[in-house]
Order: sequence, then C-alpha cells, then structure tokens
Amino acid sequence: MLEVRDLHAEVNGVEILKGVDLSVGVDETHAIMGPNGSGKSTLAYVLAGRPGYEVTAGSVTFDGDDLLALPAEERARRGLFLSFQHPVEIPGVRMDHFLRAGYNELRKNAGEEQLDPLKFDRLIRSKAKAVEMEPAMTKRAVNEGFSGGEKKRNEVLQMAVLEPRLRILDEIDSGLDVDALREVARGITDLSVPGTSTILVTHYDRVLSYLEPDHVHVLIDGRIARSGGRALAKEIEERGYDWLEAGAGV
Amino acid sequence: MTQHATATPSWADQFHRFEHNGAEISPAWLRDVRKSAFGNFERLGFPTARKGNEPWKYTNVRPIAEAAFTLAEHAPDAGIDLHAYELPCPRVHQLVFVDGHYEPGLSTEPVSEAGLHSDVLGRHGDGPVVGRLADAIEYRVPLVREQLGRLAPAEGNAFTALNTAFLRDGAFVQIPDGTFVPEPIYLLFISTGAQAVVTHPRVLIAAGADSSATVLQSFHSLDGGAYLTNALTEVVTSPGANLRLCTLQIESGDAFHIATTRMEQARDSRVSSVVVDLGGQLVRRETATLLGASGADVNLCGLYYGAGERHVDNQTFVDHAAPGASSNEVYKGILDDSSHGVFSGGVLVRPDSQQTVAHQVNKNLLLSSDAEVDTQPKLEIYADDVTCTHGAAVGQLDADALFYLKSRGIGEDVARNLLVHGFVSEVLDAIEDGAVRQHVEQAVAECLSGSR
Repeated sequence: MLEVRDLHAEVNGVEILKGVDLSVGVDETHAIMGPNGSGKSTLAYVLAGRPGYEVTAGSVTFDGDDLLALPAEERARRGLFLSFQHPVEIPGVRMDHFLRAGYNELRKNAGEEQLDPLKFDRLIRSKAKAVEMEPAMTKRAVNEGFSGGEKKRNEVLQMAVLEPRLRILDEIDSGLDVDALREVARGITDLSVPGTSTILVTHYDRVLSYLEPDHVHVLIDGRIARSGGRALAKEIEERGYDWLEAGAGV
Repeated sequence: MTQHATATPSWADQFHRFEHNGAEISPAWLRDVRKSAFGNFERLGFPTARKGNEPWKYTNVRPIAEAAFTLAEHAPDAGIDLHAYELPCPRVHQLVFVDGHYEPGLSTEPVSEAGLHSDVLGRHGDGPVVGRLADAIEYRVPLVREQLGRLAPAEGNAFTALNTAFLRDGAFVQIPDGTFVPEPIYLLFISTGAQAVVTHPRVLIAAGADSSATVLQSFHSLDGGAYLTNALTEVVTSPGANLRLCTLQIESGDAFHIATTRMEQARDSRVSSVVVDLGGQLVRRETATLLGASGADVNLCGLYYGAGERHVDNQTFVDHAAPGASSNEVYKGILDDSSHGVFSGGVLVRPDSQQTVAHQVNKNLLLSSDAEVDTQPKLEIYADDVTCTHGAAVGQLDADALFYLKSRGIGEDVARNLLVHGFVSEVLDAIEDGAVRQHVEQAVAECLSGSR
C-alpha cells in the first residue's frame, strides 16, 4: 500500500529525514518509535503533505502512485489520514460544517453523491455516538476550547466519518489519561475494518499495549535504525533508546 | 485650500436651487436649520488629511471634494425588482428610497396623517411608526423638531452639515413605550448608480421606554457609477429600550459612501449595532454613542471587506458619561488586493463614570501582500474604578488551520473560504434577528465567494 524509499526531507534547510525506508502492506499496523528529534513527526507530516517539509531525495508511492506529487487534500481524498499530535483549534468554523466539506470532497472523488446538511447530520450523530462523543460537540467550533482528550476523540470521530485506508496516528496517546487512552484505542480498533492499515508514531510503548503493531521500527537521527516485532518495543521500554543510538553512531 | 474654492460654489449653487424649488416641504424652522447647516459646510470645507487632523489622517476625501455631485432627479420605481433585497421572513415594516426619493409602491408602510399625530404617538402597546421623515415634519411631530440635528449637530463635520443642509426626506422610526416589534423594520436605500449623483439619506430613530425592535438599513446600487451617498442616522433611546441596529452596505465599486450614526442612550437601555461594509470605493463610517445614564449598554460590531482599491474607514466613539455603563466592540476586517482598511476606536470614560466596563477588539485578515490596515485604539480614561480592555491584531490566514482542513480532503479554495467565514462569524452572530442575520450572511457569502 505504502512504499517509502530512501526518503530525505528538510525543514527550514535542516535535513531531518536522512534516508527512510518503509513498506506498509494492507491490514498491517506499523509502529514508528524513536527519541525526541529523531524525525518521527517529520515523517508523518511529509507523508501527509504539510507545507514547509521539503523532500530532497527519495520516493513515496501510495497504491503505486507518486504520493509526493499530490497536494495534501488529494492525499486525503485517496484515503490517507493524519491524526495530529496537536489538533488545530479553528475559531468560528463549526465541526459539522468542516467535516461535511471534507466528507463530500471524498464522496465527489469517489464519484458518489454528496450529502446535504440534513443527511450529514444523521451520519455525524451516529458516528459521534459510536466513538462516545456528545453529538452536541459537533456544533461547536473545531477543537476550540476542547480538552486534550476531547481533541483526540475528535480525531477519532473524523476517522470514523472519513473512513481512511491508511491512518497515521501521531502521538495519539499524548495528553490522555489511561481511561481516555483505552477509549480512544477502542475507537480506533473498532474502525479497523479489513483493508485498513495503520502507522503509529510514538515515543512510548504505552499505546502499543492497546493497539498491537505487527512491525516496530526505531527511527534514530532520520533513519530506521532497527526493525522488529512487538518484542523490540518491549526492549525499548526496558532499555530506552541509548543502546540503539550508540549503534547508529549518534 | 484650492479644492474648496473650486468645489464649494457648485455646492452653493445647488443649495440655492434646492432652497428655492427642490425642497418639497419647508416649515420656517427647517429652512433655518438648513441655511445654518450650509453656512457651517461653507465654513468647514471638506476635511483634509493634513497634519494634526487626526480623525482624517488615513482617509483622503479629495475625490469627493473635487467631483461635482448633483442631487438626483426623482427616478420612477418602474423596473426595480426588489426580490434580491427581500428578507426571509413573512412580514417586515419596509421603506424604500430610490436615489433618495421615497417609493410608495415599493414600501409597505404608507404612513397616515392620523398615525403621526402627537396625541396618538407613544401610546403604550401601539405598533411602531415607520414612515417618511417628510411626513413627520409636515405633520409637526414634536419629537422630530426636538431631535433632528440634536445628536448630530452641523457645526463640526462637513458631511453632517451637508446632509442637514439638503435635508428633505428620509425615514422616521418611533417605537412607542413598552412596545415589542417582532418584525424587522427595513429601510432600503437603492441608488440607480447614475454618475455623479448625491443622496443624503437621513434617519431618525426614537426607541421608547422598555421597547424592543430591530432596524436594518441597507444600501445597494443597481448600476456601477461614481455617486455619493452621505447618510446620517440619529438614534435616541428612552430608559430600558432594547434596540438592535444593523447596516448592510453594498454600494457600487466606484461609489463613495459616507455614513454617520450618532446615538444617545438612556438608563438601562441596550443598543446592539452591527455594520457590514461590502461595497464602495471609498467608505467612511462613524458610529458614536453617548452612554448618558447608568446601566446603558452598547455592543458595536463591524465587518468590513476590502477588494480592489477600496478604502474602508471605521471610526467608533463611545462616551461613557455615567457610572455603571458598559460597552463592547468587535470590528473585523478582511482586506484583499490593494485595499486599505482603517479602524479607530475611541473610548472616553469621564471622571465620575466609575464601574465602567469597556472592551474593544479589532482584528484584520490580510489576504494579499498589497493590502493595508491602520488600526488604533484611543482610550481616554479619567475614572479609576473601571474595567477597560482593547486589542488589535493583523494577520494572514492561519497556515496550520489551512493544512488541518486540507488534510481532511478540503481543497484550497473551500478551506480558505471556511477560515474566512469562521473569522467573520463572530460579527454576524451578533445579529440577533434570525431573518436579518440570514440575509446579511447570504450577502457576505456571495461577496466573499464572488471575489476569489
């Protein structure tokens, strides 16, 4: 589904990604772990198409197409979704208006009929209930005044509505207490229909107890220093990143 | 000074013509008022952006001073389709003026002589008086003679002086004591767009004690000419009145629009004013209120949109002349192309006005690198037990928000539109009447989407 080859990327002229290789197949869950500043979030943003993240070398294909040639909105329309570490507050823009606009873009792209406000209201209400979010919150401005937990739950609601095939979850557990994390993780698991793949970007092992990865990759200084299974994450939890950093010559 | 020397004679000629045959109604007192006002205009001349003339620092009215405007001939209403201006509600009190002339065929409120007699005016529970100012003058409504020009004296302002000098007609709105008016009162001023025509719309609104009403003033043009609208509105409230004012301005892109609103608020009265400027080439809007008694409350909101080379100048002034009054201001500007926005927010808290609450915010969104804005709060506070805040901001669309929207599949144009609408919603949400809000929201949406 996703093939990343020798990916190099800069932010403000500083090279952050220094040759990342990653291959994500259908129905797979990959964890990208690594210490602060290793390039985890940069990788997530580059895949989602954030302006200011300049790819200097390498390639990324999504379903065989050149992902890097597509603007951010086109990537989303093809089924890629980035769950933000810090979801953005947008005063004055209502959740349901925003999400209907996105939803209809995806429908249009798929050659399907767009939903009028009434029909979309029914959809968003049922999705909100499914992710245990108060439907009234969908009438509020996007993320404005939301608590950390509410913002993450809101990201899950957006996933429930947009039904992406590739989900990139950037520090999905940050700012969540254990109960909130359990609920958010359950929401994500419930949405994992066949054909869905997931990339978990995380510093800590904690979230991996709730969302079991098939593959674990450790990003050190802009490169994947080691790949393995669930056991690798456990090892990092016990030993930290130092031993891997030493191995990578950092 | 030379522009005065060349422009003033043409105004003088017109004034003399107007005095002799243009004024349909002319009681002696009004003739005196006009003559004195014109004298003031000749003495003042048009304001210039010269040094030291702070209120006109950023706005140059030389194009107005140098043009030769003439009063509009009476244009018949034939062919004017009001459909586009209709409010989405079953009943309105509507007055329509075309090039400054009242149009009975388009208005819903033919005012009867009986309705304006002083013995039936102001009676508790009566409906509102919504009629021609000319009628109110002709039928000697005492309030008109008492109030006209009292809040907006002609002494200090050339445009006010001109408006009063050419005072002939306009709208008179009176809400009797204790009266709740559920339907919007709609004052529609349409310009045919004829080149170099001037109109001086005049409005007097008197809100009785514990009355409640919504008044929408709307300025439109049928065609794009370089005409001048010089509007003046005076608003007086009695204790406990709740008055919601809204002004929508969509003049032709070549038009000059000067608008002055002067208000005086009594004890526990509440005024909400929302002004929306979407058109014109040069717009200057002054909105001022005197909070003359405790418990008076004003909410002043504004939205201005600049495109092309439009210049939009909003000047507000809140005079806290009594203790325990409150004011809140939210003005927002969207400036595109090489437009220029100006906001100046004056707040005066007089020495005995303790427990004053005054908040002011001006935010500007620059959509183009050639757009400009000048914003300045002018707070003068002479009391010590007060809560006063002010803030101004100028910025571009939030890049993080834009990426967030795009990452959900929303394209550039739609995403920008959502953010711009989000920016203005705070102002539009301040319009309390649902039909008026919907009407204005529609106009804003059309204006913003048509321009990009």
